[in-house]
Amino acid sequence: MEISAILSIIIGMVFVNNFVLSKFLGLCPFLGVSRNTKSALSMGLAVIFVMSLSGFITWLVYRFILVPLDLIYLRTIVFILVIASFVQFVEMVIRKMSPAIYRALGIYLPLITTNCAVLGVTVLNVNKFFANGKSLPGSFVLSLLQSFFAGVGFTLALILMSGIRERLDLNDVPKSLAGIPIAFIVASLMSLAFMGFNGFRF
Amino acid sequence: MEVIIPITVLGSLGLLFGLGLAVASKRFCVVVDPKLEKILTCLPGANCGVCGKPGCMAFAQSLIKGEVSLDSCRAIEEKEKEKVAETLGVKLEKKVKQVAVLRCGGGKKVKERFQYNGLQDCIAADMVLRGQKECVYGCLGFGTCAEVCPFDAISMSEEGLPVVDFEKCRACGKCVEICPKGLFALIPVTGRVILACSSHEIGRNTREVCPVGCITCRKCEKVCPVDAIHVVDNLAVIDYNKCTSCGECVKACPTNAIIKV
Repeated sequence: MEISAILSIIIGMVFVNNFVLSKFLGLCPFLGVSRNTKSALSMGLAVIFVMSLSGFITWLVYRFILVPLDLIYLRTIVFILVIASFVQFVEMVIRKMSPAIYRALGIYLPLITTNCAVLGVTVLNVNKFFANGKSLPGSFVLSLLQSFFAGVGFTLALILMSGIRERLDLNDVPKSLAGIPIAFIVASLMSLAFMGFNGFRF
Repeated sequence: MEVIIPITVLGSLGLLFGLGLAVASKRFCVVVDPKLEKILTCLPGANCGVCGKPGCMAFAQSLIKGEVSLDSCRAIEEKEKEKVAETLGVKLEKKVKQVAVLRCGGGKKVKERFQYNGLQDCIAADMVLRGQKECVYGCLGFGTCAEVCPFDAISMSEEGLPVVDFEKCRACGKCVEICPKGLFALIPVTGRVILACSSHEIGRNTREVCPVGCITCRKCEKVCPVDAIHVVDNLAVIDYNKCTSCGECVKACPTNAIIKV
C-alpha cells in the first residue's frame, strides 16, 4: 500500500468525487439539515461515524458471506439490511452509554438509516477494492479510509452549505425563490465550483 | 436449487439482525421515570424557555430532580399545574393569573418622522434613530412581539398595534423581553385599568405627536378615590395593590390614555 494511493483516496473523496456535490448522493439531509452550522456539524459527525463503521461491517459481510457463496448480486439489499439494523443498534447503545452524545447526534441517526450516501460508499468500496470475486491487497484498510473520508467530504459540503444558508436567511430573496428553491440554486453553483477539482486527475 | 441459497442467506441474515436488535433493545433499554411522561403531558409543550431550561422536557426532568420550582413555568394552566404538583407531591400556592398588556395607544395615530425601509422588525427599526415614529417611546408596529409569542396570543390590529388575546396569554413574558421600547407589562387579569402610554416627555410634547398620550394633567390622580394613581416622571403609575378598577380615572382622562382592559 503506497502513500499515493492513500492520498488519492483522501483528496478524491473529499474534493474531486465529493459525495454531495459531484455524485449527488445524500441530497435530502444536505438540504434538510443545513439550516444552521451547529446542526450541520452534528449531522456531519454522525454521518462520518456511521459511514466508517458501515464500511467496516459491509466489507466483512461482502468478503466472508457474499463472495464465497457467489451472491454478489444481493449486495444492495444485504447492505441496506446491514446498515439499517446497525444504525438502530448504535442508536440504542449510545442512548444507554452516553446521554450527552445521544442528545448531540441521536436525532440525526434515524435520518441516516436509509441514507443513499451511506449505501453509496459501501457499494463504491466493494466495486473499487474487489476484482473478479477477490479482494485486492490492502482493500480492508483502504475501504475504511475511503468510507471515513467520504463522510468528511459530506460534512464539508454540509457545513459550507449551512454557512451560506445562514446568510441567505438575512437577505432579501424574491418570494418565489425563498427557502428551498434558492437553496437548490446555491447547491448547483457549489457543485459547479467543485467540478473544478476534476482537474486533479491521479 | 439456485433460488434456495440466496433466500436462506438473506432470510438468516434478516433473522440474525432482527434477533440481535431484539436482544439489544432489552439489554440497552433506558428506564424512563413514569412521572416524567405524566408531567410532560401537563406542561404546555411550547418549549418557550422562560423557565430557564431548554424546553419542557428538560424542565420536567429538573422538576423531578427538585432543582427548579414549578412556579418557574409561567405558561402552564392552573388545572395542569395542580396535576403536576400532585404528581410531584408538593403543595401549590394560589396565584392570580397575569396577562401582558401593551402600554401604548398610538399606532397609526402617530405620524412617521422618516420613511423606514430596513428590516421589518422592531428591534432593527429601533436602532435607526430610535425608530421611525414621531414618538420615540411608542409602538413601532412591526409585530416582533406577535412573532415571538409562543402561544399565538398577540395579533396586529388595523391600527398597527399588537392586541393581546387574554384567553391565550399565559404571561410567559417573551413579549416583555423582546419589545425594544419595553411597552409590555404583566398585570393581574381581573378587569384592571391601564395607562396606554409610555411617553416620558412633558405633556406639551406628547400632545404634539400623539392624540392619545398621557399629558400629565394629573386629573386621574385627583379623581382616584383610593389614592392608587400617582404621576411619576411624567407618567401616571397605577398601584394594582390599591386599585379597585372603579373606572373613575378612565372617565376623567382627557386624552383617553387610561383605558379598561
